[in-house]
Amino acid sequence: MTDFHAAIEIGTTRTVLAIGEKTADDRLRVTCHAEIPSTGVRKSQILDITQATTSIRSVLHEIERKQTEAGSSIMLGNAFLVVSGQHIKADPFQGMVAIEGAKVGSDEIDTVYRSSRTMQLPKDREFLDVVDQDYEVDALGGISSPNGMSGRILKLNTLQIHADRNRINDARTAAESAKLEIRDPLFAATCAAEAVLESHEKRNGVLVLDIGGGSTGYAAYSDGHLAATGVIGVGGDHVTNDIAHAFQTTNSQAEQLKINEASALIGASPSAPQRVKVPGSSPLIETRTISRRALETVVNARLRELFTVIRETLEDQDLLNRLHSGVVLTGGGAAMRDIDALVSRELAMGARIGRPIHVDGLDGEDFPAAYAAISGALLFASRNYEEKSVIQSILDRFF
Amino acid sequence: MSDTSSMLLIGIGGGGSAIARGVRRAFGEGLRYLAVDTDASGSDRADEPFVLIGGDRLSGRGSGGDVVAARLAAEDSISAMDQYLEGVRLAVITTSLGGGTGGGASLEAIKHLSEHGIPSVVFATTPFTFEGEDRQRTARGVMTMIEEAANATFFVPLDKLVGDAETMEDGMRRAVDTMASAVTLFWRLVEKPGYLRLDAERIRHLLAKAGRGRFAAVTMQGPSRAADAVDALTRAPLLATGSGPVRAILCGVLAGDDLRLKEIGEISDGIRAAFGSHAASFELATVNDEETFSGRISVVLLLFEANGKDGSEEKPGGVMSPKRRKKPSGPLGVGPQGRGRFNNAEPTIWNGEDLDIPTFLRRNINLDV
Repeated sequence: MTDFHAAIEIGTTRTVLAIGEKTADDRLRVTCHAEIPSTGVRKSQILDITQATTSIRSVLHEIERKQTEAGSSIMLGNAFLVVSGQHIKADPFQGMVAIEGAKVGSDEIDTVYRSSRTMQLPKDREFLDVVDQDYEVDALGGISSPNGMSGRILKLNTLQIHADRNRINDARTAAESAKLEIRDPLFAATCAAEAVLESHEKRNGVLVLDIGGGSTGYAAYSDGHLAATGVIGVGGDHVTNDIAHAFQTTNSQAEQLKINEASALIGASPSAPQRVKVPGSSPLIETRTISRRALETVVNARLRELFTVIRETLEDQDLLNRLHSGVVLTGGGAAMRDIDALVSRELAMGARIGRPIHVDGLDGEDFPAAYAAISGALLFASRNYEEKSVIQSILDRFF
Repeated sequence: MSDTSSMLLIGIGGGGSAIARGVRRAFGEGLRYLAVDTDASGSDRADEPFVLIGGDRLSGRGSGGDVVAARLAAEDSISAMDQYLEGVRLAVITTSLGGGTGGGASLEAIKHLSEHGIPSVVFATTPFTFEGEDRQRTARGVMTMIEEAANATFFVPLDKLVGDAETMEDGMRRAVDTMASAVTLFWRLVEKPGYLRLDAERIRHLLAKAGRGRFAAVTMQGPSRAADAVDALTRAPLLATGSGPVRAILCGVLAGDDLRLKEIGEISDGIRAAFGSHAASFELATVNDEETFSGRISVVLLLFEANGKDGSEEKPGGVMSPKRRKKPSGPLGVGPQGRGRFNNAEPTIWNGEDLDIPTFLRRNINLDV
């Protein structure tokens, strides 16, 4: 097996582990994946390391069971960590160098690259990624390849994505307690974009919204590069929480109402029954009904608010009118009925659900968009990281 | 003349402009008013502010009953309204649904106003039953969108406005007059001083997310005028069109200097007893205008239902977004804070609001569960 990587996502609602390999045509094939419900995680952050460790152990056992069933007997030793959460920030930073010979050469390009990697972070922050955007030669911007251009100053604009070191370390601690070494943390929203976007969409301008359980990551591309990214601390769990409060249900009942009955739009299905059954939470409690319109109202209000926050964030960065390829929804939250129609209306742009397009092996999944981030992480790893054996010995696991 | 009035009356389409003109006639000086139409013949009146929309697209000949054409026309040129919007804090729109301009242009106007941070209250008539299912369907489709876009809406079936009028002309005149007089009373309530004052800012706040409502206005005189007014309101056909329990009541009492405290009490108690058994909010205002109401008493009543504007369109932190948190008034109320499972998590704060608290709570959206 060549170029073989694993990634784990310790999400608010589920912990997912996947193994993939790069294929000859520069695609990724997910060879095995498993998921189990998460515990000890809220809003994409670990609140209970013991519970998170248990989740990781469980998903490791599940993937090993699947591997065994498939005739393999590997034990996973390391994985990339797919992270999200509102502690993740992105700041612009500019590398700069004087052009010595009046024309930009490879020396200047190397130097400006190194200069762009000199941003200092506080001790409690950790880099997730540094993304090159475009070059500037003197006052001329938007340059993708400055080699040979004349001028005095060469600049490289970058986006520096960083996270709270303690939150990342909590995930590392939980993983290592489960005998899983974490390689690098990778940002979920840009990973999802890696999996679902075509290059022409990035050129035309596109927004990826990765709607997870506890948070929503966004990645806006314009002129072929990442123009802005970040995380809003609102996700599908907020929808569930709102439903539970509005109708006094358990979280589990609210989750079922969200998945099975709710729509992001109010009254989008006039033929649907006007009342929705809420099964009793125990055999002693009778089934009751609630108004479908009220249910949809709760969901609609929450999602509209989320998209308003996104819209205002993009407006602040003068990006909203530059996203001509529309918005692409990924993550488990993208499974919400009619959410694509709602986001299209709220952001006044086209919308689609983002299935991983450069990835094979997810054909059996009910909703591949939920795997966009983790498959994007595998794709990113396969393109940018040296192969490292993901297999550990059985002895390592138990001692 | 109150040039500094922060309310603007906008009549949209032929029917809406007719109602608005009726309000203007009844109210007199001091009413900020604008007519918006796709039909250039509406601009024949030199004394009224008028915005012709879709001039290039429709050549000033009207929309021909085509909602889409009217909407496109409004998209083209609704910004021509901007010159009339300076200082406006609340827009009251009168329109008539079922045709083209009233439905199509009203929606765009509401959105445009919203973009300027101006909330809108819509008084709209819906078609006569005999006008046929097509027009009814057109009106219903537009009503849903208007209801979502506007802050408060009052949809009034024309059938209920014409009473026992025998001819079409009489019926239409009566419909326009009835709507106009109700809106005029509403206007007086806000613009004229009273001991129980309701100014534009208060009304703006009250109507910010009021949703769909019903309204009626009656005028009585004589020694039992207060009791008679309550009695008339309890029988008013316009108040019998709702589908849900009343959650909020706005009651205005307009009279001359002879308005007695006992009468205010009678009206307040009577309205509460008749309509307010489930009402979470009751707002009473009075206007003392001896010149207009001498010897008479007028009561304008606005009722809002629990399932009115339940799909709130408020922006987080937007101009109409209340920062206070309040228990929902629905039967399944919840705890005062509502962070629920996010209690121990780092809060998500946006424009000063804690987004972990359910949106419907922060927006005071009533749920008819």
